[in-house]
Amino acid sequence: MNRLSEAATRAFIARYGTALGAVAVFVFFAAAAQNFLTPGNLAVVLKQISYIAILGIGFALALTAAELDLSFANVTSLAAVATGTLVHGGKPWGLAVLAGLAIGLAFGLLNGLVVTRLKVPSLIATLAVASIANGFAFMITGGVSIVGRWNPDFVFLGRGVVLGLPILVLWTAAAAALALFFLKQTRTGLHLTFTGEAEDAARLAGIATRRMKLLGLGLSGAAAGATAILLTASLSSAAPTSAGDFLLTAIAAVLLGMTMIEPGRPNVTGTLIGALIIGMLGNGLVLLGAPYYVQDIVLGIIIVASVSVSASTLTKAAFHV
Amino acid sequence: MRTGLLIAATAAVLALAPDAHAMKLGIVAFQMSSETHARVANAAEAAAKQKGWEVTLLNSRGAMPEHAAQLENLISAKVDAILVAMGKPVETDAQLAQAKSAGIRVLTVMSGTSPHTLFDIQVNEYEVGAQAALYLLGQLNYQGGVLLSRFEGNVGTRIRGKVLDAVLSENTAVKILDSHGMARTASWRDDVKAGMSALLLKHQGKIDGIWASFDGQAFVIDDVLQGMGLAKGKLPLVSVDGGQEASARIRDKTSLMTATVAIPFERMGTAAVDALDRIVVQKKPKDDIVHGPYLFMGAVLVDASNVPAEGKWPW
Amino acid sequence: MAALLSLRAIGKSYGAVVALSAIDLDIDAGDVVGLCGDNGAGKSTLIRIISGALPPSAGEMRLDGRPVAFASPAAALESGVATIYQDLALAPRLAVYQNIFMGAEHLRRFGFLRLLDKRRMRAESAHFLARLNVDLPDVDRPVSDLSGGQRQAVAICRALRWNARLVVMDEPTAALGVRETRQVLDLIRELHAQGVTILIVSHNMDDLVAVTNRVVLLKNGRKIGECRTAAATADDLAHMIASGVVP
Repeated sequence: MNRLSEAATRAFIARYGTALGAVAVFVFFAAAAQNFLTPGNLAVVLKQISYIAILGIGFALALTAAELDLSFANVTSLAAVATGTLVHGGKPWGLAVLAGLAIGLAFGLLNGLVVTRLKVPSLIATLAVASIANGFAFMITGGVSIVGRWNPDFVFLGRGVVLGLPILVLWTAAAAALALFFLKQTRTGLHLTFTGEAEDAARLAGIATRRMKLLGLGLSGAAAGATAILLTASLSSAAPTSAGDFLLTAIAAVLLGMTMIEPGRPNVTGTLIGALIIGMLGNGLVLLGAPYYVQDIVLGIIIVASVSVSASTLTKAAFHV
Repeated sequence: MRTGLLIAATAAVLALAPDAHAMKLGIVAFQMSSETHARVANAAEAAAKQKGWEVTLLNSRGAMPEHAAQLENLISAKVDAILVAMGKPVETDAQLAQAKSAGIRVLTVMSGTSPHTLFDIQVNEYEVGAQAALYLLGQLNYQGGVLLSRFEGNVGTRIRGKVLDAVLSENTAVKILDSHGMARTASWRDDVKAGMSALLLKHQGKIDGIWASFDGQAFVIDDVLQGMGLAKGKLPLVSVDGGQEASARIRDKTSLMTATVAIPFERMGTAAVDALDRIVVQKKPKDDIVHGPYLFMGAVLVDASNVPAEGKWPW
Repeated sequence: MAALLSLRAIGKSYGAVVALSAIDLDIDAGDVVGLCGDNGAGKSTLIRIISGALPPSAGEMRLDGRPVAFASPAAALESGVATIYQDLALAPRLAVYQNIFMGAEHLRRFGFLRLLDKRRMRAESAHFLARLNVDLPDVDRPVSDLSGGQRQAVAICRALRWNARLVVMDEPTAALGVRETRQVLDLIRELHAQGVTILIVSHNMDDLVAVTNRVVLLKNGRKIGECRTAAATADDLAHMIASGVVP
């Protein structure tokens, strides 16, 4: 009986240890930083993490099929400048939104085709595609950011408030719900998971593993496109390097997520909690007056700590040919 | 292991946690890895600490969403004032408006103006660009061929390039032999080195002068020229920014660096803190310091005739 | 009546290297047949041909009297030939029921969508395991939690899920301890009792004698003969393989 409960405790810690860590971070800042617990500040934190949460969910979907997508940040920037250019040029904003999504999806599928058809490992393939996206972003803008007073309906997509909540929070919740539903309730989602968990076994069982990898990388691209639209609307501007900073933080959110809920595996709920931890740290450290380099150091420690817990899947994906 | 790391991070944060009551200033530098941004931010931080203020120095790492997020976080932190170095007021209009309505005074350095901020401390980049361009043309006696090292990824360097184009369009005896547009990457030095080396070889013997959009590029070009065995005075090499290394190279007998337009980044940082001291602490009206949205500070052209000694500034 | 599976003059060569030549083999419905031989005798080549992983270079394969040519293991599976590989081809971190239904999930209607019917898959998984007399109460547990014998049971359940008429088992008892080997042999007997036709490849003569009706012996890529196991011992089989002569 005693041994059983000990094992149960250990299993609980493995599943929820990092989530408890998130609660600890929350309690710590609530106690140490006087303005942390105000509703306004909590809304700020939730709003700020929406980009890395959505990008992280995309990255996690690709990683579910055991493929790395290191291009999502640059693809987001490219889709952002394309969307921004269209809105700025007075085109209907619906068209700009479609263009942003289409560019994200197209680059995701490009990643997928390079990986599945040309057999280039995703680590290399997506870095190359990242460079291509970066080139296009500068080609469109010449390095100048696109700024303006834009159609309020478009800006509402990023800055609006619905039911008292920042709209970004609702988009994030919608993306997470959609991804969870896809992975857990649909056959294609399960096949994506099988592809990442046991590619040979999945292929022998008749699962189209290459198509699943294409899909995983395509979805990551689509998440980048969606993020680009929210980013452009909420900043009312777009620059060819808008999203570069999200590469590390979004991946860190996924890695943190892999230490909980489904330990060792990329998962949506864990990614959300991981993003929340990163967001709380970024915000809380500023409230405490910590200088910028402390944030970088803490982020680095988080990545090392979470990878040390959940490295196996990532290395498998990174060096898989 | 994980718990240990968490405790260590917690302890580090607690050790840094400040006491209340002092004037709280948040400084946001758009990109600390860029030397000019860091010079402004670090000088301002030092000046503010000397006044006994509580300072939070943040780095937006060159990313707009991070920049906006940090402004939001500082507003949440209820700082008394925010100083933005090389920021983007138009893109962060919503955050700056929020700061204003929260009663937080925002002062910017080399960022541009906004209805929600006090004013912007600037050097006039158009004037700076014109000084550098005209100096180079003077060195050439208004004729010959020049090589350009450009950078379109930054407002300041882009303006300098455009002003140079304008100056050259009025002085048609000076021809652009070639120009290299620097790529925006972490390894930009390699890019400048490779691009300019190729152009120097291609136009060997026909080059009368070299223009670089900022000093960092000029240093790389200087090293390439020295490596090719060229001696000081052989070719004028002119750029913009100014700083200890630029002065050192202008003094150096082996360097080809001829002149730079020194922008007083440190002085802009300290002037910003002084202005905030008068406006926020001493409650003086803003118009006591400057009328209008800009406080212009002068840039100084530095060449062999006025180069300051080591550790000194030309102003 | 035609045999369930019948091979005629099956051969496989890689350029000048002949891996397998002129193999004739008939397996009747409901039979349990063993395949044995030394390393390099051609066992795994033959298995891969039957399971659809490798096309033969010569000969003909008939299933239920009709000629077949499997393009892939998945195609063989659809024709009712399921192969259980030595590494079992499972996804260790996923649940027992998910592994059993891998690639052949049950779906249910949900408005215009078709979603995974988890309740049905869980229930049928429990039913398959019960048919094999395997006590595994929680089909939501990950396969990595299971013993070697239990994993073998999951792999066999997968064959049941496909309604496989012929189950090909590649070294089912390799790397198992004594107790687990006995469990797997029990599983095979159980499967046989339910009328499933089985082809077992094994090094272990004792196991083959214990569960099969007859054994096909290979040596150097050729079939040297067949032997009914009711009348033979493991030593007899080992001797035949060593000498290359089947009395």
